[in-house]
Amino acid sequence: MGLPRYVAARVVWAAVVSLVIVTITFGLMAAAPNPAVQEAATQAALEGGDPEEAVERERELRGLDEPLHVRYADFLRGVYTLNWGWSDLQNRPVSEALSEALFYTAQYSVPWTVLTLLIGPLIGVYSAANMYSWRDHLATGVAFFGYAIPNFFFGIILLLLFGVYLEWIPVVYNTDVAVFSLENARQLAIPVFVLVTGSIGAIMRVSRNESAEFRNADFMKTAKAKGVSPLRAYAYHVMRPTMVPLSTTVVGQLLAIFLGSSLLVEVVFGIPGLGRLTFDALIAQDTNLVLGTTLLFTFVAVVGNLIEDIVFTVLDPRISYDDR
Amino acid sequence: MTSEKPDRFDRVDWSAYEGSGGVDPSVNTVGAIGTTLPLVALFVYDRQFVGEREATFGAVGLEADWSGLEYLFAFTLILFVWYVLVPLYQNPRMTRYYWREFTRNRPAVVSLGWLLVVFVGGLLGPLVVSAPEQSVLAGHQPPVYLSIDTANVAQCLGEVRGGRCYGTWEYPLGTTRGGKGVFRSIVYGMRISVQIAFITTTIVATIGITFGTVSAYAGGWVDEAMMRFVDVVLSFPTLLMFLLILYIYGAGLGMFIVVFSLFAWGGTARYVRSKSLSVSEETYVSAARISGASTTRIVRRHVVPNTASSIVTQLTLLVPGFLLAEAQLAFLGLGDTSLPSWGQLIAAGRSDLGFAPWIVVAPGIVLFLTILAFNFLGDALLDALDPEAAAEVER
Repeated sequence: MGLPRYVAARVVWAAVVSLVIVTITFGLMAAAPNPAVQEAATQAALEGGDPEEAVERERELRGLDEPLHVRYADFLRGVYTLNWGWSDLQNRPVSEALSEALFYTAQYSVPWTVLTLLIGPLIGVYSAANMYSWRDHLATGVAFFGYAIPNFFFGIILLLLFGVYLEWIPVVYNTDVAVFSLENARQLAIPVFVLVTGSIGAIMRVSRNESAEFRNADFMKTAKAKGVSPLRAYAYHVMRPTMVPLSTTVVGQLLAIFLGSSLLVEVVFGIPGLGRLTFDALIAQDTNLVLGTTLLFTFVAVVGNLIEDIVFTVLDPRISYDDR
Repeated sequence: MTSEKPDRFDRVDWSAYEGSGGVDPSVNTVGAIGTTLPLVALFVYDRQFVGEREATFGAVGLEADWSGLEYLFAFTLILFVWYVLVPLYQNPRMTRYYWREFTRNRPAVVSLGWLLVVFVGGLLGPLVVSAPEQSVLAGHQPPVYLSIDTANVAQCLGEVRGGRCYGTWEYPLGTTRGGKGVFRSIVYGMRISVQIAFITTTIVATIGITFGTVSAYAGGWVDEAMMRFVDVVLSFPTLLMFLLILYIYGAGLGMFIVVFSLFAWGGTARYVRSKSLSVSEETYVSAARISGASTTRIVRRHVVPNTASSIVTQLTLLVPGFLLAEAQLAFLGLGDTSLPSWGQLIAAGRSDLGFAPWIVVAPGIVLFLTILAFNFLGDALLDALDPEAAAEVER
């Protein structure tokens, strides 16, 4: 199997996975009573009307009285044509609410990802080059600290310290400031810092352990013998083979943190991004919006895994496509 | 494992290989079944003869009322004793070797000590320490040696000096807004954490090992289908799915444990499969097969023990993730608020952070230390159980 066929197979597979997840989501929604229907019944009972009738009306209104397969087909069409319905909470289409939230999420996600990918492998390789020195121990300590401290807890503590006591950063997130301004950098510094410390540890550890393997490899001895400077030797001969195994874990880990922590960090810092939107939708029982955010995160995860697999095979020519 | 090596070939105990066809329960299996039966009996008794609102141990004068989760927890403890602790005792030579390797890593020993504190505290703490109780008058008491402005407390239980209220030993870590002792809440939270750790670990290990070995030995399209299924499981956004389930059905701790462990075994299964495939190429497996050992026996005696080291490491790194997820959900107010977990405590103190930071800081630090301990432990176990990995690092 050649590369194009492999990529095609992976893309098809990613589509299948997304379909499975969408189907499970639909199954979950279909099997449970719809909160909106229940609300209509309660409303009718409170106003002295007939709850049964109200339930019927609400079901008809939402198309729930149709047979399951028709609803499933409708659901699939809606999901894949990005027609994700109307959000009662935000009073606008779900896709519009999502794209606006994405704008705020991207403002801290992009610097966070870039910083993690830049600093993580660098410190990891540096750590391996100075293995068992105090610098290595310091880096290991920082890695473990960042990995172990719960992001939301760390966020609260830093907010308390810098926002409330020292008053260096604003406590409330301000959406009015321009994206590329000092104000915005100041209010996003702590969230980005918290996320970077949380995600950098794992990457640092992997790159440290991986590059430790190449440190005493024959090609490094050759490089040293012919007088290559240590910096160049590490940059060209250690960094490159280290990136291959690293790339398999990086995307998965970043995604896991993105899904979990963005929610927490946005709630703690009051950033009106995707995580916050999910949270608000859950609290307000806005079914369409909950579905929309869930599906968006799911698609990001599926596409992320797809890219990871493809990048992995492109980076490492030794991998045979039949293997997977 | 047939660890006693006969000194001569003609003295090889062939019956050890012959018995593989039939069922030959080991001491551990007998012990595990023997201790599980009373538990099942207790469960049946609880469901059939004890009233809905009555305590399980009411007949012997104890207050404790067991939910389904407690039974599951007790069962996992039984498995832990018979399949982890007893085998360590049965193989003293290997145990001493592991221990020697393990103690070379000093942070890991400290971590193990801390996890033991959490484990014992979770197991026995609730029997010693009484449950934290609401009492509005005792709200916002500071920890001992610390003080708080008297304007922030309804009533100071300790001494008042210069307009500041000092903490008392009755509440060593202070109290929450509702007057619950933070220290007691942390002890009760240990129980929740230990339960999460044990039950999820058992479920993940069972499914992962079974799935991985079956997939490796079935081969062909079965293997392919099973591994593609693992792909789906791995790319499942668990936290979001849990939020969705929570939104639709509502969910307590039991649901949390089930959902998270049902979507966490993918990595374990994948690893066990690849390890099984490589182990089955080894000469000792061929030797066992030529001697007439069945596939089941090879899997149980050679494949699973050889994957154990990495599974243990993987699980020690998985558990902190679960603890963190529970705390996160609790913090968002999406967990079971009646549960005395660390996350709930952090969530409860969030609004009073400005003047009563101990409510958040104390459980936060405990959670941090526990996750840190698991990480150090995983790192050390990797070196101790897998000599190849250690050699690789030292080379």
